[in-house]
Amino acid sequence: MKRILSVALGILAAIGGFVDIGDIVFNVQAGSMFGYQLLWVVVIGVGGIMTYAEMCGRVAAVSERAVFDAVRERLGFGVGLVALVAGQFVNLMTLTAEIGGIALVLQLLSALPYRVLLVLAAVVLLLVLWLMSFQWIERVFGYCGLALLVFAVAAIKLQPDWGRVARGFVPSGGSGDLAVYLYFVVGLIGAAMVPYEVYFYSSGAVEERWTPKDLGTNRANVLIGYSLGGILSCALMICAGALLLPNGITAELLGTVALVAEVPLGQIGLLLALIGTLFAVSGAAIDSAFSGGYNVAQFFGWEWGRYRKNAGAPRFTIAWFVMLTVAFVIVMTGVDPILVTELSVIFSVVALPLTYIPILLVANDRAYMGRYANGRLSNVLGIFYLVVVLVIAAAAIPLLVLSNMGQG
Amino acid sequence: MRLSELLGAPVTTRSGASLGRLRDIRAEIHPRHVAITGIVVGQLGALERLGIGAPTTTVRIRTHDVIPWEQVVRADRRGIVVEDDAYPR
Amino acid sequence: MKTSGPIDLALGLLDHQLVDSDNRRCGKVDDLEIEGLDTASPRLAAIIVGAPAWRGRGRVGRLAARLAGGRSTRVPWSEVEEIASDVQLRKPAGELRLDAAEERARRFIARLPGAER
Repeated sequence: MKRILSVALGILAAIGGFVDIGDIVFNVQAGSMFGYQLLWVVVIGVGGIMTYAEMCGRVAAVSERAVFDAVRERLGFGVGLVALVAGQFVNLMTLTAEIGGIALVLQLLSALPYRVLLVLAAVVLLLVLWLMSFQWIERVFGYCGLALLVFAVAAIKLQPDWGRVARGFVPSGGSGDLAVYLYFVVGLIGAAMVPYEVYFYSSGAVEERWTPKDLGTNRANVLIGYSLGGILSCALMICAGALLLPNGITAELLGTVALVAEVPLGQIGLLLALIGTLFAVSGAAIDSAFSGGYNVAQFFGWEWGRYRKNAGAPRFTIAWFVMLTVAFVIVMTGVDPILVTELSVIFSVVALPLTYIPILLVANDRAYMGRYANGRLSNVLGIFYLVVVLVIAAAAIPLLVLSNMGQG
Repeated sequence: MRLSELLGAPVTTRSGASLGRLRDIRAEIHPRHVAITGIVVGQLGALERLGIGAPTTTVRIRTHDVIPWEQVVRADRRGIVVEDDAYPR
Repeated sequence: MKTSGPIDLALGLLDHQLVDSDNRRCGKVDDLEIEGLDTASPRLAAIIVGAPAWRGRGRVGRLAARLAGGRSTRVPWSEVEEIASDVQLRKPAGELRLDAAEERARRFIARLPGAER
């Protein structure tokens, strides 16, 4: 009974933690421009992260290793260091965007000036990272992120044309500018499969001290938790498609996102949407700050992990602190967090092959996995998504330019 | 010598034919020491270096590009020289 | 877990994690020293750990070695306990002189309130 409860709680945390600011921005924008026509892309993206997160969790549970090690071991020092630098650059952009996003949400909740809220956000993040244990962080931010379920309720309440919604799950060329359409295909898959997600999931499994006994939990988190999280992404797009597209509103402000919950559900809807967004984005900020520490420490072989305590993994601690500080300085210069979000997702798409190839290789390695190495299903899905990732990695920058960053 | 100095070094036969570059070194683990038993060469050796078809993987792709150490004539910074009839197995 | 069997050095040892006898991570296998290449039975002599060892790893490695500086440490192969996906050593990192940088960082962090959290 206790086991079922703990698995269920893990699933809840996975749902609440699934959505980050990249998912919010891309799903809502896609909905506001193309209605329901890109829902099939969300399914593909969610399938990809499910396939590879399951592998990462299994690698961590069986070998007690996180997957970034595999980047250096498989691709060598030179390529690995390039992957590290690129990954840290994208991590930094993501963290900058998330800190800005926190301040934007707080601005909608309070009336305080943006820069003051940036300082508040940074200080609170620092305190949480420094003082709270990993388990507590994941639970608190994961559960409170469940407030985002208000978007699922809103999607139903808006009474969209469910026939058109269903047709959105079938791939189509989309009406309108093809370059913009394809830009969103790339962005939606990228937002779902963004590298820090897998690095964080695998490091998190080591933080939670998973063993082969937790392989069931791993599967439950991924199959149930992530698919329900994917429904949240779909709900965002459906809400935007039902409300924003008919009224010609494009989602350039975070406030517009909250609007789609307020219109059908009133003040309660608005409040839950803001709280859910606040915790989802804060959780993602914490995850990307830790990822900055994890990646550097795992590349150089330093001790790492929140479970080692701050003084037990000093260079890891310094690494995430430096990342947080630099992100704070950047966002204080006044960059538009929404713009940084979009760029961070698209740039990270280019790095996706370097992320995912080593994971697939190491999940097949008996020295790591013993008898838990990939079966045929994992390999078929793994290779399929590797091809997807290679295609969108090649197309990302050209589409960014051709579609004028989704503006057409 | 360091492993890094051998990796990527050109592998040729006594009579000068090129077999490619050294991708990896095959060894055998013993309780107290690790003995070098062969060299991994050439195109398929590159796949093995990534971990496809190596001794510890499950992926069954043919990678038999290992030349036994007995057939190595010389190995130094200039490169590796093997017997003319050395055949990657 | 391997105490016997075949292994590819660049794939299975190079760049792998080093773990000391207290189960603490203490660096990566940055290079390997091989002896007896002019004999019929060459073998591994030592593990080399540290930034200067990256000089042999291509252009990126040379640049990184120059930027990082520091010294390298030689760990004789007799100090290796076991080879799994990581390399386990027989002694604590301090005794093998693998913990210099980490200790410097620890002295800095330990002064801050909440360092034990």
